[in-house]
Parts: sequence; structure tokens; C-alpha cells
Amino acid sequence: MKRMTIAKIALALGGVLTTVAFLMAFLWASPSSYADGRVDFAQKIFYFHVPVAEASFLVFFFTALYGLRFLMTKERRFDVKARIATELTLFFVLLTMATGILWTRVEWGVWWQWEPRLTTYFIMTLLVVAYFVLRNSVEDEEKRAIYAAAYGILAFLDAPISFFITRWINSIHPVVFGGGANSGLESNMLVTFIIAQVGMLLLGYSFYEMRLHEEEVKERLEALKVSIGG
Amino acid sequence: MGASSWQQFKAILHKDLVMEMRTREMITSMGMYALLTMVVYQIALAEAGDSFDVRLVMPGLIWVAFIFMSLLGLNRSFVHETDQGCIDALLLAPIDRPVIFFAKFVGNLIFLLVVELLSLPVFSFLFLQGREGIANPVWMLGVVLLGASIGISGVGTLLATMSVNTSGKDIMLTVVFVPLMYPLLRAAVGATFAVVIGGPASVFMFWSWMAWAAGFDVIMLVAAFGLYEFVIGA
Repeated sequence: MKRMTIAKIALALGGVLTTVAFLMAFLWASPSSYADGRVDFAQKIFYFHVPVAEASFLVFFFTALYGLRFLMTKERRFDVKARIATELTLFFVLLTMATGILWTRVEWGVWWQWEPRLTTYFIMTLLVVAYFVLRNSVEDEEKRAIYAAAYGILAFLDAPISFFITRWINSIHPVVFGGGANSGLESNMLVTFIIAQVGMLLLGYSFYEMRLHEEEVKERLEALKVSIGG
Repeated sequence: MGASSWQQFKAILHKDLVMEMRTREMITSMGMYALLTMVVYQIALAEAGDSFDVRLVMPGLIWVAFIFMSLLGLNRSFVHETDQGCIDALLLAPIDRPVIFFAKFVGNLIFLLVVELLSLPVFSFLFLQGREGIANPVWMLGVVLLGASIGISGVGTLLATMSVNTSGKDIMLTVVFVPLMYPLLRAAVGATFAVVIGGPASVFMFWSWMAWAAGFDVIMLVAAFGLYEFVIGA
């Protein structure tokens, strides 16, 4: 029960922080502008897009981690955790795609471009979807868990290769971290960004805990049904 | 203790090769698939006109053919095993699981390379006659074929072991396999392009792409090798 309390606090805090970051993005953070001084309004989506994208990579890591732990221990709870982490990955990945596409339309004038970063992120979406397609096509419960764990690990290894290949192929997608002067954030932008980031991670954590709790309750219910002979 | 790992490896590989020699099932079906893909390419390029330089799209075209062809072969290689219950016997035998992985992997690699080597001249015969030749030495194409096929067969062997036990089978293999192969295919097409088109920096580009492919191969093979034991025992 204690975990649920923490999760609820995280949910509330995350909600507040992301909302505050939104307001700050529009009211306080200095607007970025084009070379000719025109204000770049579409850039505001950055405070949503980048935290969501990073959250997606982070939760995907837990897919692989719990997959690995499942393979080592064969304990069912790790399979459940890995699956929930992947569900969250899908959620964040879809949000990233949606916000990214909006930004692309405004900045580049097209909805979609086979630009390396977009391409590789699209691949990651397909990997996450494939994970669920694979799960759904295996009848046997233990087999399903093992296959899903193995595939989750492979898919997670694929993600950083995608990430780094974009640094190598000439990419027009802005490089936010370690990208030199080009991506430097002014301090008030940075503060806004960090608040948005922390808020998003808290949200991710609380979603994860709540989904896990739901699964546990569901299982207890099933067990109770069996015990009364339903 | 029975036979050494090396002997076990040879025995499994030998079994697959002998079966293929007798039935010629995989080579013919993969070869036919490649040939049919080229017919489809002719249709796809039919309206492009003579001035269109096929060499520009050739790297992509051959790797599209090879990736789907490999799916066919990978699937066959395990459908055999499960259809006649061979896989159960293989698992019952006192053989280390990694040996099974390497034997199946090398078998698939050999079949894939054979069909690739057969279909490249056919592609060149059908599409590249009367055009500029390949800019860089042909042996470089061999390096690409080997580098990419290792990754395709390695990961493919693991995934095919899973997909034969799913309800979707061949469709399932496609769904899980193609997105995972993206970085390797991208590198293979990049390297092939550098060989075919040439240019001042092409040798550097070629080796850079091959370094990507090699990195992918090493990471993914180690992972596939480590995961195989769990998957085949499931």
C-alpha cells in the first residue's frame, strides 16, 4: 500500500510540474528566434517533446532490465513488469511521434521526412509494436514470457545503435545534448526544461506503479475466483 | 562425455547440408524468390525510362531481395525441424545448446551466401548490361555480403527459433525481424552504394559502413548467442 501512496504523490507532483513547465515555457522562457529575429513559436513544443522522448528511452531500458531478470530468475512478476514497462514505452513513443510530427510540419514544412532520427525513432516504434504482436501470438505462458524477454533485450540493444547512427549520418534534427553552441539553452530555458523533464519522469513512474498495482489486483481477484470455485 | 563440441557442430551442420543436397528445397525456393523479385523490379522500373541510372537504386534493390529471401530460408530451416519432431530429438541429445545455435547459424549463413552469390550475376545480367560497371573492385561486394549475412543469419536463427512456435509463423518472423535489422541493412546499402558508385571518398565510406555492420554483428551475435539457450529450451 505504501508504494501506491508514493505513486499517487508522484502522479500529483508530476502533473503539477509538467503543467507549470508548460506555463513557464510560454510565459517565462525566452523565445528562441530565427537568424532574422523572427520569433520561433513552434519551438515551445520542445519542452514537451524532448522529456517524452527521453522518458521513452528510459522506460524501454526497464523492458530489457526486467526481461533479463526474468530470464535469470523465471519469476513471473518480472515478466509482468517488463510488459508494463513496454506498454509505457509505447505510450511515450506515440506521444513523441505525435509531437515530433507537429513540429516537423511547422519547421520543415512537411509532416514526415526520412531524416535519420525520425527514421530510427520510427523503427523503435515498430520494435515496440512487434513486441506485443509477438506476445499475442504465443499461447503458452512461459514460452511467451521467455520470447518477450529475449526480444525486449534485442530491441533495446537496437535503440542506442539507432541513436548513435544519427550522430554519424548527417542529420538535420537538432542535437540537444553535447551538440555544441548550436543547441545551447539559455538558463531560463534550461530551468523550464528541467522542470518539464522531472515532471515527466514522475508521471512515468506513477503510471508504471499504478499499472503494476492494477495487474496485481487483477491477479488477486483471479486467485480469489478460483478459490471460491468460480 | 560424448563427442566434442566441434564434432557435434559438424554433425548438425552436416545433417543440414546433406538434407539440402538431397531435397534442394531451400536453395531453389530462395533462388526462385530472388528471380521473381527481379521480375517485380522490372515492373517497378518499367516506366522509369532508359536514361534512369539503375545503379543508383541497385544497392537498395538487391538488399530488399536478400532480406526477404533470407526470411524464407530462415523459416524453412526451422519448419523442417519442428514438422518432423527433429528439434525434440536434437534437444534430447547430450549437445550443448550453444553448439546447436552455431550449427544452425552457420548452415543458414551458407545457404544465404550461396543464393546471394548466384543472384548477383543474374541481377547484373538483367539490369546492368550496357551501363557503367561497378566502380570499385568486386571483392568489396563480397565483404558486404559476408558482413551483412552474418548478422542476418545470426539474429535470424534466434528469431526463427521463436517464430516457429508462434501462431503466426512466417508473418511473425517478418514482423519481429525486419525492424531489428534496420541498422544492418542501412549499413549494407551504404557500403554497397560506395562500391557500386565509387567516387573520391568511397573507400572511406565503404569501411565506415562496414564498421557499423561489424559493430552490429558483434553486439547482436553475442546477444543472440546468450539468449538462445533460454529460447530453445522454452
